[in-house]
Amino acid sequence: MVIDCHVHVQGNWGTPDDRMGYLLEYADRLGIDRLCVSLGTSRDHEPDMDTIRESNDMVWEALEQHDRYIGFCYLNPCYLQGSLDEIERCIADGPFTGIKLWVAMLCDQPNLDPICERAAELGAPILQHTWMKITGNLPFESTPYHVASLARRHPDVDFILGHTGGNWEMGYRIVADIPNVYCEVAGGDPELGQTEMGVALCGADRIVYGSDAPGRSFASQIAKVRGADIADDDKAKILGGNMQRVLGL
Amino acid sequence: MIIDCNANLGQWPFRRTAYSTPDQLVERLARVQIDHAWVTSLDAVMLKDVTAANEPLAEAVADHTQLTAIGTVNPKWPAWGSDVEACAEQFGMPGVRVNPNYQSWTLEEPVFADLLAAARDLGLFVEIAVRMTDERHHHPLVMVPPVALSGLLANALEYSDVPIVVANAKNAEAGSVARDSGGDLPDNLFFELSHFESVGGVQSVAENIGVEHVLFGTHAPYFYPEAATLKVFDECDFSEADLEAITHANAERLLAGD
Repeated sequence: MVIDCHVHVQGNWGTPDDRMGYLLEYADRLGIDRLCVSLGTSRDHEPDMDTIRESNDMVWEALEQHDRYIGFCYLNPCYLQGSLDEIERCIADGPFTGIKLWVAMLCDQPNLDPICERAAELGAPILQHTWMKITGNLPFESTPYHVASLARRHPDVDFILGHTGGNWEMGYRIVADIPNVYCEVAGGDPELGQTEMGVALCGADRIVYGSDAPGRSFASQIAKVRGADIADDDKAKILGGNMQRVLGL
Repeated sequence: MIIDCNANLGQWPFRRTAYSTPDQLVERLARVQIDHAWVTSLDAVMLKDVTAANEPLAEAVADHTQLTAIGTVNPKWPAWGSDVEACAEQFGMPGVRVNPNYQSWTLEEPVFADLLAAARDLGLFVEIAVRMTDERHHHPLVMVPPVALSGLLANALEYSDVPIVVANAKNAEAGSVARDSGGDLPDNLFFELSHFESVGGVQSVAENIGVEHVLFGTHAPYFYPEAATLKVFDECDFSEADLEAITHANAERLLAGD
């Protein structure tokens, strides 16, 4: 099974269902079976709770229409009680499986602890966007260092290191010794060597495939795994086996 | 038949590059059924005298019929005209590459027109590399913004008999030039697809700029060559005619000067 751990419902055309159907058509061409989906159309870096709920409702609608999607509940930890309420609504009482965090708050802050504690109780993995830009991060854009700090405080939560910090040569090294952090290959250029280095530093059991579609091409991102000089068994783990385990599928 | 119009040999100074020799690159590209590649020198990008890389590049590919060497020139370097002549006459290269951002000039400066005039006289195409790597991850002491494409269209129209290849451009950059042209790009202007992204992005860009302006390219071995082949053959739904155009016919037409 191939699982794309990082897909969005972006776009300003049609309904969320239209857009999700469109994505599935393209995913089929690359042999992708399941897609972890999060975020709505808002690109607000610090969304309020109304925007958060609207975003999750869009994903919810897609989940009801297509059983190949796996929902990741979008949160803004600046609204702690709202985030905990949204976890109850979407994960505990709803069809979502994981949590998605973007750029509203650095993820090593204390507000993240109650969220992680509830995630641990529910067995929900947390996908945290990370990047390390020499051109400058957004004010509250987390890096792998922030995820490392949080993951060490919550060893019973599985964290997916979104984009492995973009600058993956640094990202892998930062989390190499933290067993509950999974490094995701999504969202950067298809630079040869990315997957090989991840396997060498973190092990094939801790690398996961994701695309960041529709902004990124399914094809360019899955090429990082299909084109890697690694064992076929390791490719199978990265393309889906590891996420099956993380998601409890 | 697949012609890769954007491959590289040698080492990138900020990362050890796999498949950096002609034998290794040919083998790696053959894995994804790429038959032929135009190759430039990664070493040339950061050399001050970029032409020092041209003779070694020509020698390196001499015994490899699957590779065509593309020299690098810098029209801001003294006596650069002789370097362009050497690429054409001494090394038999069909084109030359420039890296304006690493060479500190813009497409709006007269040197670009001078280069196009020299290329026209020698029957060469000119290739512009918009970027080499993601600007967000550059070495902190060597931060190089992408090449601004303002000035490209006017010069392409002025030198309509010189093929111009834009390599490593993103969707929006190609789209911006197409928009400036009123949706009618000059026949001599081509965009290579290695950096086209988004779901179905290659097809979207091809529909936007015209499939006759799209060249197949991988940016290998810096990129996985599978990224380009999977984008074109698997993710997109091109007609046979469009696939022919993108994978080799446009490149052959460019070389023939048709």
